[in-house]
Amino acid sequence: MANKRKKFLLIWIITAVICLYLLLKYVSPQVFQVLMAKDHPMPTPSTLMMWYMIMGVLAGLVYATTSNQKFADFLGFLLPDSGSTIKILLQKLLFVGFPVLVGWFIYSWSIPGAASPVELRIQHPTLPQEFEKLDNPFRQTDAETQRRCIEEGKILFQTYCRPCHGSKADGNGPFANSFRLRPINFQDPGTIATVVDNYLFWRIKEGGPGLPSEATPWDSAMPSWKDDLKDDEIWKIIMGEYDTAGVMPRQREKVE
Amino acid sequence: MTTDRRTINIMIKAFKSVLVGLGLIVATLSIFSTQGRAFAQTSQLFRTYKHEVPQKLPETADAIADGKKVYEKRCWYCHGIEGRGDGPASKTMFPKPRNFTRNEYKVRSTAFGSVPTDEDLFRIITSGIEGTAMPFWITISETERWQVIYYIKTFNEQFKKESAPKVISAGSVASTPESVKRGQELFKETKCFECHGEDGRGNGPLTVALQTEWNMPYRARDLSKAWNFKGGNTIEDVYRTISTGFNETPMGSYLEKLSDEDRWHVTHFVKSLSKDMVSDVVVKVKLIEGEQLPTEPQDENWNKATPVELPLAGQILTAPRHWTPTIDAIMVRALYNKDEIAFLVEWDDSTNKQEEIFRDAISLQFPTKIPESLKKPYFAMGDSSGAVNLWSWKAHWHEGFGQIVEAPEQEPGVVSELNAKGFKSITTQPPESQNITGKGIYQNGRWKVLFKRTLKTEDAKGDIQFEIGKLIPIAFAVWDGSNSDFGGQKSVSSWYYISLEKPVPKTVFVYVLIAVVMGASVELWFVARLRRFPPKLEEEE
Repeated sequence: MANKRKKFLLIWIITAVICLYLLLKYVSPQVFQVLMAKDHPMPTPSTLMMWYMIMGVLAGLVYATTSNQKFADFLGFLLPDSGSTIKILLQKLLFVGFPVLVGWFIYSWSIPGAASPVELRIQHPTLPQEFEKLDNPFRQTDAETQRRCIEEGKILFQTYCRPCHGSKADGNGPFANSFRLRPINFQDPGTIATVVDNYLFWRIKEGGPGLPSEATPWDSAMPSWKDDLKDDEIWKIIMGEYDTAGVMPRQREKVE
Repeated sequence: MTTDRRTINIMIKAFKSVLVGLGLIVATLSIFSTQGRAFAQTSQLFRTYKHEVPQKLPETADAIADGKKVYEKRCWYCHGIEGRGDGPASKTMFPKPRNFTRNEYKVRSTAFGSVPTDEDLFRIITSGIEGTAMPFWITISETERWQVIYYIKTFNEQFKKESAPKVISAGSVASTPESVKRGQELFKETKCFECHGEDGRGNGPLTVALQTEWNMPYRARDLSKAWNFKGGNTIEDVYRTISTGFNETPMGSYLEKLSDEDRWHVTHFVKSLSKDMVSDVVVKVKLIEGEQLPTEPQDENWNKATPVELPLAGQILTAPRHWTPTIDAIMVRALYNKDEIAFLVEWDDSTNKQEEIFRDAISLQFPTKIPESLKKPYFAMGDSSGAVNLWSWKAHWHEGFGQIVEAPEQEPGVVSELNAKGFKSITTQPPESQNITGKGIYQNGRWKVLFKRTLKTEDAKGDIQFEIGKLIPIAFAVWDGSNSDFGGQKSVSSWYYISLEKPVPKTVFVYVLIAVVMGASVELWFVARLRRFPPKLEEEE
């Protein structure tokens, strides 16, 4: 039995490599779907997959060369052997399979593939200077006025921002699917929680068309609200937006 | 001699490792370069109806009081402070939010006209309703969800008077071709088509009459769009809807009109009509070698191209904004030959009624030049630094403001070519630069519009010049005349791309042949060498 296994060392290593491929390609996306609680499979990134496969092959070769005995067994598979029909069958398969595989690599490599678009963008461009000095006039008022402003802001938010950013400010409004540059999820701690009120004021007032070119203004569906909303309304929307999302704006550092 | 053999062994080893390694690199690269699907399918884009319901909370006065707080923090903006569905945000919505003082509940497991169970309400609050403004409230705790349910129930006295039992059976009939066929017969016999239309696109004569002549807010569901089914699109969900109906809508309960088995048959037929949205970022334009491109929207050759379906949103970028669009998806396919390119765009529209101003229309948008860098014109009609080329098609035109007419099915419509540099600077190209041809056909609740042009034109400044293999941005806008769509009030898409597929050059097959021959010779040499000098262990020698 042990002798038989040794005779098939080459086949075992090839099988192991194929298993590794199947594992990375089909099993791991499902496992990561469960682990990361996503509602869709998480495919292994292609470069990662390539490196894992290279390492897998090298591991197989390292294993095959750990001793002279193993290496002799490894190559010995290709020697003629009239004793075992399975072995002869596998040998034939290997002899035919290798050139076919090489041909297939060359074919899939040289057919013209469809290009995939590259869309790079900077999510948080720098706040323009003219917006840096502004101050939200309602942040310094008494508690009662603030409460009223938040409520008025929430009503405006639900009327004008909700169709894209959603009732919960989670970027899941009814129009959200239709914009490839998806509306921002304000509940995400990496979004509005990392900026000051002024930043939002700039974004709401100038919208997508006001973005610098590194932030791909041509793809942004954020409207520019400067013609339709008054400054006071925008400041209130910002207060309502933070409240709806359940996050706080970044606090300015005190300059002594 | 021993040293020699060892050297050969090492050489063979090294050679083989390199070969296998290279092969694998090529394999992984090639496999992944062919999988360019970067965009999700329906199951990923749209939410699903969640059936699981946790243990109920006791319905106490405290729970109701806490529910009021939740309601007045999150729900009232749409549903109104008194639950009348008239909250301040409801003006930018269609369908309108539910009025809790009436029994308008749609997704129920109880008889028609009855109030829903607490569990039904829990499922809707948890799942939301796709195609409407109702979000999925998984972000608030289960306790809060139960509390708000108890508060919502206080708006309607009917909840106090009755606690309706579930009415639907637990059994089911398997989906077979016979069952689907029987369902189709029942769909006719029971007059489902009068509202939902013969192909289920929500274009039945009754729907059209209620909508256009009576101005009723009812729209029969477009059964071909699986993502828009209220209360889920699994067979159990569809069966439940057919059985219990939607309160206060023309969708009644078929509990008594159809036997349990027949309702399953209809369910299977409805399921056979519904399709997922299969989307992609790049529309591949297929080469039709040595053949004429189709001149009719129904041409069979269109089946050679892979269709891509894209979601659309209302135009909300600038006033007049469109908060309540009716066209939420468009299907595109394209073909080309050595001279011309043709597009077929299809979308569902429940009527073919046109007015002088409010007409069904579509517009394809390209940049005037293929972008060399990442920079593109603004996706909505371009901007001052990036002009766009618009291909417009409009349905039947007749004079007479306010007169709505049913346009003839075979009316081809009017095509024109325009340029824009932003919303406010749109110009129609002069007659000598109008190079596109086009034709629209309306059948069974669906528009099919064909556009055709030569790949290159004389007007290189105003017209997009198509090039094989390049990514060319494309965007869409659709108008539904019966929804008062006009001008800026339209459904729009983001930028997508088209790519004219490169033909596979004949030389590829020569390369493959050479590779196979080379692979085989290397293999033969290797095996022959191995068999002549079989690996021997030193101990044996």
